[in-house]
Amino acid sequence: MDVEFRIRRFDGEKSYWQTFNIPVKRGMTVLEGLYYIKENLDGSLTFRASCRMAICGSCAVKINGKPRLACETQILEIGNSLEVEPLDNFKVIKDLVTDFEGFFKKHEAVKPYLIRKDDNYEEPVELIQSPKELHAYYDFTLCVKCGACYSVCPAAATRDDYLGPAAITAAYRFNADSRDEGEKIRLALVCGDNGVWRCHFAAECSEVCPKQIDPAKAVQKIRFKSAIETIKSIFR
Amino acid sequence: MANEINKEEMHTKRVLEPLAWIFQLISGLILTVLVTFHFYETHFVSHEAMEYELVVSRLSSLGYKIMYALLVFFVAFHAFNGVRAILLDTNFGAKYPQVVNSLCFLAFLIAFGYGSLLLLVF
Amino acid sequence: MWQKWFSVKGKSLFSIAFSLHRLTGVVLTIYLCMHLAYLTSIRMGKEVFESFIATTVTPQFLIFDILLVLAGIYHGVNGLRLILHEFGLTYESRKSILYVSVAIVLIVWLIASYRMYTFVMGV
Ligand code: HEM
Ligand code: SF4
Ligand code: FES
Repeated sequence: MDVEFRIRRFDGEKSYWQTFNIPVKRGMTVLEGLYYIKENLDGSLTFRASCRMAICGSCAVKINGKPRLACETQILEIGNSLEVEPLDNFKVIKDLVTDFEGFFKKHEAVKPYLIRKDDNYEEPVELIQSPKELHAYYDFTLCVKCGACYSVCPAAATRDDYLGPAAITAAYRFNADSRDEGEKIRLALVCGDNGVWRCHFAAECSEVCPKQIDPAKAVQKIRFKSAIETIKSIFR
Repeated sequence: MANEINKEEMHTKRVLEPLAWIFQLISGLILTVLVTFHFYETHFVSHEAMEYELVVSRLSSLGYKIMYALLVFFVAFHAFNGVRAILLDTNFGAKYPQVVNSLCFLAFLIAFGYGSLLLLVF
Repeated sequence: MWQKWFSVKGKSLFSIAFSLHRLTGVVLTIYLCMHLAYLTSIRMGKEVFESFIATTVTPQFLIFDILLVLAGIYHGVNGLRLILHEFGLTYESRKSILYVSVAIVLIVWLIASYRMYTFVMGV
């Protein structure tokens, strides 16, 4: 069966649509379709992918208007004609490849690692955690940093320095970890006017997240905590 | 799009944003009651509710004065703090937060002051 | 730029709810300013006030009033939904809560519109 791929391309100067018709078998993914085009029809087509198993987060693109991982989206599930575009809210470098540098910087900015007073890498000790403590944050560890959430966020669309759902979710993930002692530091980091206050619960991030980790929920939780901590700090 | 983070901004923990957010939600809750009452009063109770004498008599009674004062206070705060949030969602707001904050605060004061004039006259 | 707040192509109902909340918030703020200016007429005496009422509380203005009330009810009810979620409650049932909110908006709006209609027509 032949399927029509309409791809929004960008060559550094101009943006244009190009159509390819490719033979599709049942089970074939959008990513395989893109590889087919690159190998057989147009070697200049550029896109990003690595793991092909929905774990590296490289391949998020807009498919028929919705951001998805190309490697876990089957072509025939979408239909027999599809439009593939780069993610919104990111600068396009070439074709489907967007600039993730700022996105990763924001991630780094919230200190997404355990912060402990007794860090001792010479003689590491085991950190015990009960299943309940694990489940307090486990779902949020599943984020693959694909940027789908950021690409649909209305605040990220108009304010470049907004931390965005993924970074704030990462901050929440570590704050909710019983082994971590850096909560205060991270609350201060997400509490600026480029932080949690920019969220207006459009909740589109939770709708599009391919890992269904509900970033909007993490943002509300950490925002509430930040507000309470601030109010307490006034009376201290 | 320059996805850069203003480091200075990130490290200064400020109380304005959290308080403005929480009061936006609280004023929203209060407005639900006050606006519903105000609308009910003027459109549901009787055909005469909008007659000049009745309007003035309401404006002259202490109970209504307090109610209207609260209404105009919360609605002015909520509206211009809402506009502030909208402006801060933009790159302009990111660049000039103080300008946005002061203009919106000024607008709130003007709206509250102008609305209250009516309560002082009668 | 700001148009992006209102682009709903490919988005879910939640984004549309956000766009409408922002739109109605701005509309209500503009109305608030007009309303405060209008009230100046009360200070200018009975004649001025009554001539204002005579032009605005009319069948011709009813359609604007009814749309404005729709904006107000939508913003209020959706606002309560946002308050619930932003205070950290019930995001798990956010889909059903959104549907219920829309239903409440429509019901309250129909009742209010009917009442305003009879009010203006003097029934
Ligand atoms: C009737 C009760 C009302 C409730 C429950 C309510 C609730 C809310 C809430 C919760 C927000 C914050 C949304 C967010 O940023 O997450 C908001 C925003 C806003 N409200 Fe209201 N509101 C009410 C009435 C009004 C009125 C009467 C006005 C105007 C005069 C108004 C103007 C605004 C504006 C301009 C915003 C900012 C919109 C945005 O950030 O997109 N609201 N409202
Ligand atoms: S939260 Fe979900 S949508 Fe956002 S980057 Fe992580 S996996 Fe992707
Ligand atoms: S290629 Fe790794 S997530 Fe799709």
